[in-house]
Amino acid sequence: MEQNELIDLMKEKAGLVQAVVLTVTGMEEVLRYSVDITLRQNGKTIVAPDVGTKDMQKLEKLCGVSGLTILHPPLRSHLSGIHTALTSADRAIAETGTLVLDSGSEDVRIATMLSETHIAWIPAGRIVPDTASLSAFLIGKMKSLPGYLAFITGPSRTADIERVLAIGVHGPQELHILIMEGT
Amino acid sequence: MIQTAGNMKTYKKKIKAALKNRFLRKALDNFASAYKMSRAKAFEGTNLDILKDQITDGKDQALAQLLILFDQFKAGAEAAGAIVHLAATAQEANEIITKIGRDNGVKTIVKSKSMTAEETHLNDHLETEGFKVTETDLGEWIIQLRSEGPSHMVMPAIHLSRQQVGTLFSDVTKTPVDLEDIDHMVKVARKELRPVFLDADMGISGANLAIAETGTLGIISNEGNARLTTTLPRVHVALVGLEKLVPDLSAALRIIWVLPKNATGQAMTSYVTWITGAVECAASATGKKILHIVFLDNGRLELAKNPVFSEALRCIRCGACSNVCPVYGKVGGHTLGHVYIGAIGLILTYFYHGKDKARAIVRNCLNCQACKSVCPVNIDLPFLIKKVFGNILEDEGVRPAKNIILSAVMKNRRLFHAMLRMAATLQKPLVKKDAGVLRHLPFIFGKAHDFRTLPPLAEKPFRDLWPKIRPQIQTPRFRVALFGGCVVDFVSPEQAVSLVRLLAGHEVQMEYPMGQNCCGLPAMMMAEEKTATDVAVQNLEALEPWRYDYILVLCASCGSHMKEGYSRLLAKKPEQVEKLRMLHDKLMDFSSFMVNVLKVTPKDFIQNQTRVAYHSPCHLCRGLNITREPRELLKTAGLEYAPCKDEDVCCGFGGSYSLEFPEISSEILRQKLNHVEATGADVLVTDCPGCVLQLRGGMDKKNSRIKVRHIAEIVADNLKNG
Ligand code: SF4
Ligand code: SF4
Repeated sequence: MEQNELIDLMKEKAGLVQAVVLTVTGMEEVLRYSVDITLRQNGKTIVAPDVGTKDMQKLEKLCGVSGLTILHPPLRSHLSGIHTALTSADRAIAETGTLVLDSGSEDVRIATMLSETHIAWIPAGRIVPDTASLSAFLIGKMKSLPGYLAFITGPSRTADIERVLAIGVHGPQELHILIMEGT
Repeated sequence: MIQTAGNMKTYKKKIKAALKNRFLRKALDNFASAYKMSRAKAFEGTNLDILKDQITDGKDQALAQLLILFDQFKAGAEAAGAIVHLAATAQEANEIITKIGRDNGVKTIVKSKSMTAEETHLNDHLETEGFKVTETDLGEWIIQLRSEGPSHMVMPAIHLSRQQVGTLFSDVTKTPVDLEDIDHMVKVARKELRPVFLDADMGISGANLAIAETGTLGIISNEGNARLTTTLPRVHVALVGLEKLVPDLSAALRIIWVLPKNATGQAMTSYVTWITGAVECAASATGKKILHIVFLDNGRLELAKNPVFSEALRCIRCGACSNVCPVYGKVGGHTLGHVYIGAIGLILTYFYHGKDKARAIVRNCLNCQACKSVCPVNIDLPFLIKKVFGNILEDEGVRPAKNIILSAVMKNRRLFHAMLRMAATLQKPLVKKDAGVLRHLPFIFGKAHDFRTLPPLAEKPFRDLWPKIRPQIQTPRFRVALFGGCVVDFVSPEQAVSLVRLLAGHEVQMEYPMGQNCCGLPAMMMAEEKTATDVAVQNLEALEPWRYDYILVLCASCGSHMKEGYSRLLAKKPEQVEKLRMLHDKLMDFSSFMVNVLKVTPKDFIQNQTRVAYHSPCHLCRGLNITREPRELLKTAGLEYAPCKDEDVCCGFGGSYSLEFPEISSEILRQKLNHVEATGADVLVTDCPGCVLQLRGGMDKKNSRIKVRHIAEIVADNLKNG
């Protein structure tokens, strides 16, 4: 599959499970988007456990002017106050609209599980068509010990009461996927 | 506590109570309809049969070497910092987990959904030991608060209405909850459970998979509670059935790909978590998660060696066999299962929870094959259910009187047929003249059986009519033998007479081998395997398959039993193999013969366009895999085919089932007839004399204008030169 087809499929399938999927041009846009969403949702805090130093400085600046607080690792000390989690995703599976996140780091786990809104960015080149094309990558991850690997497909959901779909039972209530084109 | 009836009397009471629950029925009914559509959609464009076979083969290979896989898993997981245990029994598993809790100073525990923990009654054990345990899956939390067991393996609280849940939540939180607002209830759970997660010392999860190659656990969940359970507390214990072991990642991925699709029609669950060893965890003194993985044997290793039952261990707990089960749809999981529910529950209960729990529930199966057709790992569920029933009879060393009588009579064809003839004479005063039904049911039937009228035995069985109507063809194109089956021969010979009329003009030399007996399915249904085998041999001898081009059946149940059942029964009789192979090659249902062999055309029939609905017999559409031909034949024969909802859902007959469980049988029938009436058809057509009996009796009872006909009858009626 061509990259644009993969992006389209990813958008379609992740959209079907209530994820918001957008294409962006680069990290600048990712950071700005994260701040905007947090403000729009009246959130106060952002965690970004795996952004690089330079981007972190930019994020701090953006948050500074918008009155948002960045919570810094270790996130164990912020278990109850995380609004937005911004993380990267290692791979995406277009066929099901799934993100694959190496979650060996406890901060990544806490960020992606306890936030209200999870925003994940992924370079377009890391989208694969299906699970089977990911075998080598997954095996590699599972063999680097120890490990905690997560497939994330849409926000947390349940249909346990009268089979009515309800979003956001234990995990994030929203999942935003930002695909960086041309990367 | 889960209450499962230990005898039929208590069980019947439970069934009656369940049938009164209208909410339950409606909920399950809606789910069954929605499920079929979403499953079909989820698998669109997939060659499911190939995939099923792959998973099945993989599972079987794994089951043959569970201990090797266990050792491999243990080595991998322990190298990554986990501690791996093997518990021989449920009790031992519970004790191991208790000790882990004690050793680590645990007071509070959060749990994510695990059927294996339900199997060992882990919560009860831990609570007795003084731990505070909270279920965190929404459905499990609800049933924990209500102190009951799950009623579905995937949707544990499907039996409850939003009002019930809302009331429960407002009691628990001491704050009013809007009884209509499910979103709000979900938020209540989020709010209530979050602090419980944060405070917990230990998390207990199950696992859907254990990958031996890398020592990795695979856990699927939609809510995210399994992730929190395995992340927040410093101790994580995973309780895993040994059969969850798979050799490698690709086997695991195949299962992950199929499971949610087959469970609820969901392409992928929100979360799949792969855990290999003890990852970093700031809450633990060492900075590493304290990870214990407890594998549960509890009879699995023994079961894996069992040549008949080992396939039950292939189960990936998708719950689909409940979703499509007509009995489940009427009474729900608390009545059709113990801990494990639905078709697979009827089997596993015997092995994991003993015969007392299995004794009554295992009888509650129509043998409709719906479960088998959706099982992603090809478990022959209805067959194993009957096998469990047989095992229990054997264990208890008492065969019910009806089993003994049935066996003695059926084995001796002459005696059997003589008794049927005698009954035909004795019933005369009971027969309503011209109506073709019994005026009232013989006294041995109670009121519960009054949901349908029953036809009398025919005045003359087909075998007596045959010599007079046997056609003589000089140079036949085809030689065929009819296997009539008891109902056609002794109750509805007109169906076979219709066949004779239809064959005229096609140069078919038909025979009716007189030595044929009952096909033996009723004996199988009563777990009388020995009798069923004897009868199978008798029929092979009588049919002499080498003499014919085709062996025709008008009864789908006979046909499917002779195809599949005989292979199993006669597997150990090498002298029958060749005859059996011939029988299989030549056996054909009526419609397929008309459409594919005689190739009848519309020119042969009066095109009166009578509007007909069709009921697809279980043993035709699933047993023999015939779906296209009957519908095509109806159109060719000049009839207007009106599609009907749930055409392929059982009519509730199930042979002796309808006598044993008339309350459920009549409910299933009622729904079927309602669907048929909604089509506006004038005639309901089907191709199994047993279904005709049930459907006609039901229509008659409700004085419906809709006639019920065997397909051979209505097609013969439209013959131009008939
Ligand atoms: S055969 Fe039919 S009645 Fe029996 S368990 Fe399977 S689906 Fe239910
Ligand atoms: S027996 Fe088959 S259909 Fe039933 S739960 Fe197990 S895997 Fe699913």
